[in-house]
Amino acid sequence: MALINLVNLCYDYPNTTGLDHLNLTINAGEFVCLMGPNGSGKSTLMKILSGLASPKSGDYQLDGQAITAAYLADAQRRQRLHQKIGVVFQNTDVQLFNTSVAEEIAFGPRQLGLSAAAIEQRVTDCLQLTDCEALRERVPYQLSGGEKKRVALASVLALNPEILLLDEPLNGLTIAAQQQILTLLQRLQSAGKTIIMASHNFQQVQAVGQRFIIFNSLHQISADMTAADLQRQPDRQTQLMTL
Amino acid sequence: MEPKQPTNLPAWLQAPASTTSHATRVTFWQRNQRHLRALLRRLAQPAPAIQPRWHLAPQINLIRLLLLVLLIALIQNAVLLWCLALLLGFQLLWLPPGQLRRFVRSWLFSSVVAVIIVLPSYWLNGPATLLFFSLKTSLMLANAQYYRLTTPFQDLLSGLKSLHFPDVLIMTLAIAVTYLRMLGQHLLLTMEALETRTVAPTKHPYRLIGAMFGNLYLKSYAYALELYAAMEARGFNGHYVRSTPTHSHWRDYLSLSPDLLVLILFVLWRP
Amino acid sequence: MHIPDNYLSPATCGTLVVAMAPVWTVSVLTVKAQVKKHHETLPMLGIAASLAFLIMMFNLPIPGGTTAHAVGGTLLAVLIGPWAACLALSVTLLLQALLFGDGGILAFGANALNMAVIMPFVGYGCYRLGQKLHHEKIGLAVGAYLGINAAALIAGVELGLQPLLAHTASGAPLYCPYGLNIAVPAMLSAHLLVAGWVELVFTLLVFQFVKRVAPTNLYQTPVKTNRRPWLALLVGLAILSPLGLLASNTAWGEWDTTELTHLLAQQHLSTQAPQGMVHGFHFQALFSDYAIAGLPVSVGYILSALSAILIFLLLIRGLQHGTETTD
Repeated sequence: MALINLVNLCYDYPNTTGLDHLNLTINAGEFVCLMGPNGSGKSTLMKILSGLASPKSGDYQLDGQAITAAYLADAQRRQRLHQKIGVVFQNTDVQLFNTSVAEEIAFGPRQLGLSAAAIEQRVTDCLQLTDCEALRERVPYQLSGGEKKRVALASVLALNPEILLLDEPLNGLTIAAQQQILTLLQRLQSAGKTIIMASHNFQQVQAVGQRFIIFNSLHQISADMTAADLQRQPDRQTQLMTL
Repeated sequence: MEPKQPTNLPAWLQAPASTTSHATRVTFWQRNQRHLRALLRRLAQPAPAIQPRWHLAPQINLIRLLLLVLLIALIQNAVLLWCLALLLGFQLLWLPPGQLRRFVRSWLFSSVVAVIIVLPSYWLNGPATLLFFSLKTSLMLANAQYYRLTTPFQDLLSGLKSLHFPDVLIMTLAIAVTYLRMLGQHLLLTMEALETRTVAPTKHPYRLIGAMFGNLYLKSYAYALELYAAMEARGFNGHYVRSTPTHSHWRDYLSLSPDLLVLILFVLWRP
Repeated sequence: MHIPDNYLSPATCGTLVVAMAPVWTVSVLTVKAQVKKHHETLPMLGIAASLAFLIMMFNLPIPGGTTAHAVGGTLLAVLIGPWAACLALSVTLLLQALLFGDGGILAFGANALNMAVIMPFVGYGCYRLGQKLHHEKIGLAVGAYLGINAAALIAGVELGLQPLLAHTASGAPLYCPYGLNIAVPAMLSAHLLVAGWVELVFTLLVFQFVKRVAPTNLYQTPVKTNRRPWLALLVGLAILSPLGLLASNTAWGEWDTTELTHLLAQQHLSTQAPQGMVHGFHFQALFSDYAIAGLPVSVGYILSALSAILIFLLLIRGLQHGTETTD
C-alpha cells in the first residue's frame, strides 16, 4: 500500500523555487534513492516529508493521513510524526548536542517512557549496529566527521522509526564504513522499514538502491525508475555518474 | 581495520513502532523557529532599498538621521516638531505604496509599544506630558524606521567608513552581519534536528537550550579560526579598505538644509 | 533592558557616550594584546557579536507560560574575556539600534554602559573571585545574577534621574516621566525576580556544556596582568573630568539642602528638606563643592579630579599583592 503519497506538491523559498509540482508515491518497505544535482530539491523534499516545512500547495499524505499546516500546528501530532520518521541530517554537527555518545543515543528512548534497562538495551544495540561501541563515552563534538555520521544514525535508530530519511549519509565515510552503513540499511529494510536516501553520488548507492528518483535543476522529477530499469539504460547511468 | 558487519537486528527494532500519547502544549521552540526564519529572511534580502528619487551619499544619510533624532530630542516647541514631521511626511510620499504600508505597519506597532510603557505616567504628570512624550517618541521611531527601510547594510558600512570610523570597527560590523546569518542558520537547523528527535514534551528545556547555545558558541569559535585562516591567506594586514570612495555632492549637503534650518530656528527662536 | 530613544535627555546620552570612550579605548588596547596570542580573537569579535544577537533574540520559557530572554553579558565575558565581550556587545547594540530598531540611537552610550560594560565586568569579577575561592560555578552563578541586576539598577537610575535633570519650568518632565522612586523598583523587581534567574540558569548551563565538551575554548585569564589599560582608563577619565565644568547643574545627589528643597518643590513632593539632612550628619568636606576659597572654580575642580585619581591609584597600590617585596 502507498505509505507516502505526494500530489502536485509545490514549495517556494523567499526568492527561489524549492519544488515544482511533484507527484510521487512511495510504498512501505521500499529502498528509495533521491538523486540529482545540488539544489535540485532533494533536501527540500526531505524537509516536507519530515514535517519541518509544509508545502505551499498540493497534498502530502502519510499512511492515508493528510499532513497539512493545520495538522502540523498541533504539537502532539508533530511529535507522533517525528516518531514515525527518523531523519539523519546532512550536517551532523547540528544533530549532536549531548555531552557523551551514550547520552546522545539515550536522548530519544528516554522520552518514550521506557525503563532504564530497556533504554540501556537500546543504547547498546544501536552502538553495536553502527560499530560505535568504542565511542560510547566520547564527546560527540570531538568526533571525526565519519564518526559523527554513525552516531547520528545510531541516535535516530534508537527511536525505532518506521521511515528513515537520510540526507547524504555516506559523505565523509571510508569505503568500508560506507559499505557497513549500506548493509545496515538493507537489513533495516528487510525488517520492514522504509528507507529514503538523498545522494548525489551514484557510485555509492548503485548497489543498494531499488528505486531511483532523479531530480533535475528545475526542481522537478525527471525520472523515476527501478534498479532493473536503470540497468537497461547505460546512458542514464553515465549521466548519473557525472552528476 | 576491517569494520565488522552489522549483527542481526535486535527484536525491538523489528517490531512495529509503538506511538506514545502526551498532552498537547504550544512549544516555545516553534515560536523561536518562526522568529529565526523571519530574521534569516530579512538578512537574505538585505536591501529592501527602495532607492529614493535622489540618491544621497551614505554618510550624509547617517548624519541626517543623527541630526534629526537629536533635534527631536532637544526641541520642546510644538511648531518646530510639526515642521520636522512634515519633512518626514514628504519623504514618505516618495516610497512605493507597498513599502509605505510596511513602514506604517511597523512604525505603528513600535509606537504603540512605546506609548503603553509611558501610559501610567498619565496619573503622575497629566495628559499634556503624556501626549507630548508619545508624539516625540513616535516621530523619532518614524525617522529611524525610515532610515532602516531606505538604507542597505552596505551603505551603513560605507557611511561609517566615510565618517572615518576605525577599520576594525567596520570590519567587525561586516563580520557580525555575515555571521549572524550563518549562525542563525546553524541555530535553526539545530532546532529542527532537535525537533525531529522530540517525541514527547521536553521536561528540561533549559538543559537542551544550554547545550544548543554551547554548541553554537563552539561553532562560532570554529568559524573564527577558519575566518582568521582565510584572512591571513588573503594577505590580511589589519586594514580594511573599501574600494568605492564616496564623494559628497553639493546636493548631498543641500539635502541637509531643511534639518539645519530647523536647527537654526531651534537655536534662535525664543518665543 | 534596551533603553529606547527619548527616554534619556540628549545631555545624558552625550555624557554617557563620552564616558564610554575611554572604556572602548582600553578594550581595544587590551584586545590587541589578546590578539597577539590568539589570532582568532579578531574575527571572533564580530562573530561573538552575532552570537550575542541570537542569545538576546531567543525566547526562553519561564513558568507561567510566558517567555523571557537572556542578555549573555556574563557568559560572553567568561567565554571570550571581558574586554573582548565589551567590544562584541557594543557592536551588537550598535547593530540592534541602527538596523533592527532595538534600543535607541542616541541612547546607544547608555545601553553600552549597562549591557556591554557593567554586566560583563560585574559578572566576570564574581566569576574570577569564585575561581580563586575554588567555587567557579557558584562565582559564575552569582556573577550572572548580580551582573544583570547591576545593569538593571544603573538603567533604572539613568531613567529615574531624567525628571530631575530635565523638566519644564512648571516641573513637567521632558524625557522619561518616571522618577527614581518608580524607575528603579520597576527595573529591579523585574530583573531580581525573573530575568536574573533566567540569566543565571542560561549562563550556567552553557558554561557547563562548553567546559565539559571543549574546556580549552574557554577564555584563559592572562597570568600576569598588564596594568597599562588601567592607566589608560585613568588618563581618559582625567582628560574627561573638565567636562564637569561644562555641566552647570549640580551633580545628582550632591545637592545641598537649599537646592534639595528647591528640587523637591519642583517635584511637588515636599517643600521641606528631609529632617535628617537639616540637623543630622553634617561635615565640611576638604574641597567643599570642589571650590577652595580663593581659587577659581575651574582650578579647584581640576585639583579635585587629580586628588581623586591619586587616591584611587594609592588604593590600587595598597590592595595589590606585594609581589616585589615578599619575594
